[in-house]
Amino acid sequence: MSQAYGKTERVNLSTAEVLLACGDLQGLTIMAEMFAGFGVHSPRKCQTMADCKAVVKERIINLMVVDSALNDAEGYEFISWLRRAELDPNSFAPVILVTGHTRPSQVFRGRDAGASFVVAKPAVPTVMMQRIVWLMHDQRKFVNSPGYCGPDRRVKALGPPVGMKGRRHDDLSAEVGIAKTPNLEQDEIDALFNPKAVAL
Amino acid sequence: MTGPSRIFAVENKLGQIAREPGGRRPEDAIRAAEGRVESVRGSSAKVLVEKAEQLTALAAKGRGGDTSVLDAIYDTSNATFGIAGTFGLGALAEAAFSLCDLADWFRNGEPVNWPAIDVHVDGIRLLANLGDKAGAAGADSILDGLRRVRARVAPAA
Repeated sequence: MSQAYGKTERVNLSTAEVLLACGDLQGLTIMAEMFAGFGVHSPRKCQTMADCKAVVKERIINLMVVDSALNDAEGYEFISWLRRAELDPNSFAPVILVTGHTRPSQVFRGRDAGASFVVAKPAVPTVMMQRIVWLMHDQRKFVNSPGYCGPDRRVKALGPPVGMKGRRHDDLSAEVGIAKTPNLEQDEIDALFNPKAVAL
Repeated sequence: MTGPSRIFAVENKLGQIAREPGGRRPEDAIRAAEGRVESVRGSSAKVLVEKAEQLTALAAKGRGGDTSVLDAIYDTSNATFGIAGTFGLGALAEAAFSLCDLADWFRNGEPVNWPAIDVHVDGIRLLANLGDKAGAAGADSILDGLRRVRARVAPAA
């Protein structure tokens, strides 16, 4: 992921509703200080999954940063619940999962829970801001299936692997079929490349 | 859940809000955030010492036969890892991470080796009390010892 930002890139989080969740009080304090530095005013701070649920049921949240260790549950559980809770628009809001002691299986667990991003600690401001800027530009679609609910886990849109049939309904076949309409005349092709103003 | 899969576009509200006029350059926001985080270094150092003392008490309780404390040991060392890493206390973070490995290994059914946990807790307590005064050489020797203990006790953790 690129660390450079565009020259004109600006981030205005002053009106963003942000939920910060961490089971450890000092960890939550550090997170809140970081987001205050980013310009976030009065984030909703939670230490438990119960608190998180109450907040997302009560108000619209634009960004959630959830530690994997909450006081009464794991962050993964909250994210899985959120994605299927049908709380429009909060169920579709971006969620950054912050993990501490991380085994590879937990990284996949976070992704499969429906997190938009998994960030390993130490979650320093540089890394967190990179992820926020990326999420600002995120165009991924949302997937709701029996086995998964959350942002499309395929970040790159390169089509299905070579030699395999795509599973999306709008994946196109590599085979080009027989033309169903007459070929364009050369004048018509030229016109596509040289548009001209016409009087209507 | 049963039924067909659905793939649909969602509105990127965060993007809309964050692009509103005003705001700050990411580099400036990062600098401001680093300053704010730095402002809680002192209180965090105190919390790290408190957590080391909690680990000592939990290990003592565990040695008394209460293996249910492994969850609390894991959670406390995990929190220690996160805070220490934020402030660049690499040796303390590594020691705490190693204790997470051990606690996780033991709570998944392996016979608990309390001396191995004690050694880790002692190392964490020492490093937490030294804070950023922990010399590189001293920290390395503590970590070398912990790595050997961990490799011997929980090779696959």
